[in-house]
Amino acid sequence: MLELFSFGRKKISNKLLIFIKTNTGQSLSLNLDPEWNISNVKKLVAPQLGLKSEEVKIIFAGKELEDNTRISECDLGQQSVLHAVKTKSRVNIESKTKRCLDVVYDDDNGNNVIDVASKPLSSTLVDLQLCGEERRHVSEKQSDKVKANFFVHCPECKKLCKGKLRVRCNICKESCFTVHRDPECWDDVLIPKKIQGHCESFEIACMSDEENGLPFAEFYFKCAEHVSGGEKDYAAPLNLIKMNLKEIGCLSCGDISEIVLVFPCDAGHVTCLECFKLYCTSRLQERQFISHENYGYTLSCPVGCENSFIQEIHHFKLLDKELYDRYQSFGAEEFVIQSGGVLCPFPNCGMGIIVDEDCNRVHCLNGCGFVFCKICKQGYHIGECLPETSAQNNSTLTEYSVNPNKVADSRWEQERIATKIAIQVTTKPCPKCRVATERAGGCMHMVCTRAGCNFDWCWVCQTEWTRDCMGSHWFG
Amino acid sequence: MTSPSERRLRKEFLELIKNPIPGVIIDGEKIEKNINEWNVTIIGAEGTIYQGETFELQFLFNDKYPFDSPSVVFIGKNIPEHSHIYSNGHICLSILSQDWTPALSVGAVCLSIRSMLSSATKKERPPDDLIYTKTCSKNPKKTKWFFHDDNV
Ligand SMILES: [Zn+2]
Ligand SMILES: [Zn+2]
Ligand SMILES: [Zn+2]
Ligand SMILES: [Zn+2]
Ligand SMILES: [Zn+2]
Ligand SMILES: [Zn+2]
Ligand SMILES: [Zn+2]
Ligand SMILES: [Zn+2]
Repeated sequence: MLELFSFGRKKISNKLLIFIKTNTGQSLSLNLDPEWNISNVKKLVAPQLGLKSEEVKIIFAGKELEDNTRISECDLGQQSVLHAVKTKSRVNIESKTKRCLDVVYDDDNGNNVIDVASKPLSSTLVDLQLCGEERRHVSEKQSDKVKANFFVHCPECKKLCKGKLRVRCNICKESCFTVHRDPECWDDVLIPKKIQGHCESFEIACMSDEENGLPFAEFYFKCAEHVSGGEKDYAAPLNLIKMNLKEIGCLSCGDISEIVLVFPCDAGHVTCLECFKLYCTSRLQERQFISHENYGYTLSCPVGCENSFIQEIHHFKLLDKELYDRYQSFGAEEFVIQSGGVLCPFPNCGMGIIVDEDCNRVHCLNGCGFVFCKICKQGYHIGECLPETSAQNNSTLTEYSVNPNKVADSRWEQERIATKIAIQVTTKPCPKCRVATERAGGCMHMVCTRAGCNFDWCWVCQTEWTRDCMGSHWFG
Repeated sequence: MTSPSERRLRKEFLELIKNPIPGVIIDGEKIEKNINEWNVTIIGAEGTIYQGETFELQFLFNDKYPFDSPSVVFIGKNIPEHSHIYSNGHICLSILSQDWTPALSVGAVCLSIRSMLSSATKKERPPDDLIYTKTCSKNPKKTKWFFHDDNV
């Protein structure tokens, strides 16, 4: 099992506590001075592994690190893990039978690509929001500013934090892995199997079913703002949150903020984080989030651009707790509707209820206790649903203040009418999705307010709105 | 620290002072007192049926502006007689509700309303004016509008 060595503490002024793991199951802990370089580390580690320092390579975050790399350049946090691996000598490789490893270490030109040490990923990676030409023309002066910046929602810190990109092998999930190229865009990072590399986590290299046998890099993120809780301490990447390198004003308040959210639309509309929260609050109140089959309960660009859904719903974790709870419960209710359930029509309730297909009697068991008819959403009755007689009666309508966003407001507004009568006179279910809708006067053409439904229907016929409806009872 | 909606409104206000829209007059003094309530005077364009008339629009903004649309109504004695404007001042204009986006602005709304007025050929109220004005809520944003033009 693991052997734990600890040494060097007396000479070195505290600084970073780092763990070194080998592919033979050994593990050491070291206190590293940030001013040291990798060759210092090798000199410390090699004797412990029974090797010469030239025989050791150090792998971290997808890269074999160069000897002259300083520890402080490596984006290491307290208790990070470095990997130490015995360099495979040329003799060793050539003496092997024609096994995959030979292939693994030969690039297209037949060059031996083993042991190509480089600068750490954190210093070579150019910000993923830059693409094409922009990437190539990064001047020396700018290069500090365009270093990759990642933001995560950290479950530990419970807030937006700076993140660190880490890499592991997609087969063994260990991180003694070197990438063949740096990621150049978010797709390289977020979509699996974009970048290959080789894995030296175990003495026998991991192999994939790809033609060249190489495993793929699996990228993940850690919070950079709290002490690492080990290799299992992940944080969700918020890929739409970016440093505002182009200094674009928020589409809502116009301010130029340092950190912004860029919507995934072609135009790349930008909001500051404050306005993003405002946007979510406003849309949540109107229940205008969309239940997307792949992404979950989400929003698209406020300007209304096509194909601009926020795909990583952890972005909504930026909302305050109360709001995020509401987001979750609305999302759950929306799920209920999509799986054929109903929302309780009782004012101030709106509980999502899964219904029995063959029974029209619905009991709001976990909510207000209202018992209603699945079809007409009125109090439960035996026999046919009653035709709505009083609904078009103007004198009745005027007695109640009318709120079109009934479902939307179900838990937001206190000043709602809390009587059964109100349900009877002003609410009808959308014929398509059955969400209770109140009529606010005006014409008989109703448009379902529920995002994703938007069904056009006729208040009188309670079916789809037609030209006949327009001709015979448009205005009642 | 002012709220984002306030910052946005201030920017819009300054922009309208710098680049005024012809036929649209903003009451700056009132806005300075309360940034969430604007009164805007619209002058009937020459060569239209409203030539020589002036109308007063009231904009009310909430703290979620510009993600929430402003509430916009005509106020005062002279409510334009138009097939999309109710006699209580409510306006049937889709950008004021379902087609609102934060990319729109007070200026854009004024321009739309002005062109809506300019394109009218006949002074008339919407067909459901009587029933609507009797039954509607005080706040036009609470009305589930059906836009008369959409399917005609
Ligand atoms: Zn954290
Ligand atoms: Zn592996
Ligand atoms: Zn903003
Ligand atoms: Zn957009
Ligand atoms: Zn209920
Ligand atoms: Zn019924
Ligand atoms: Zn519906
Ligand atoms: Zn009908």
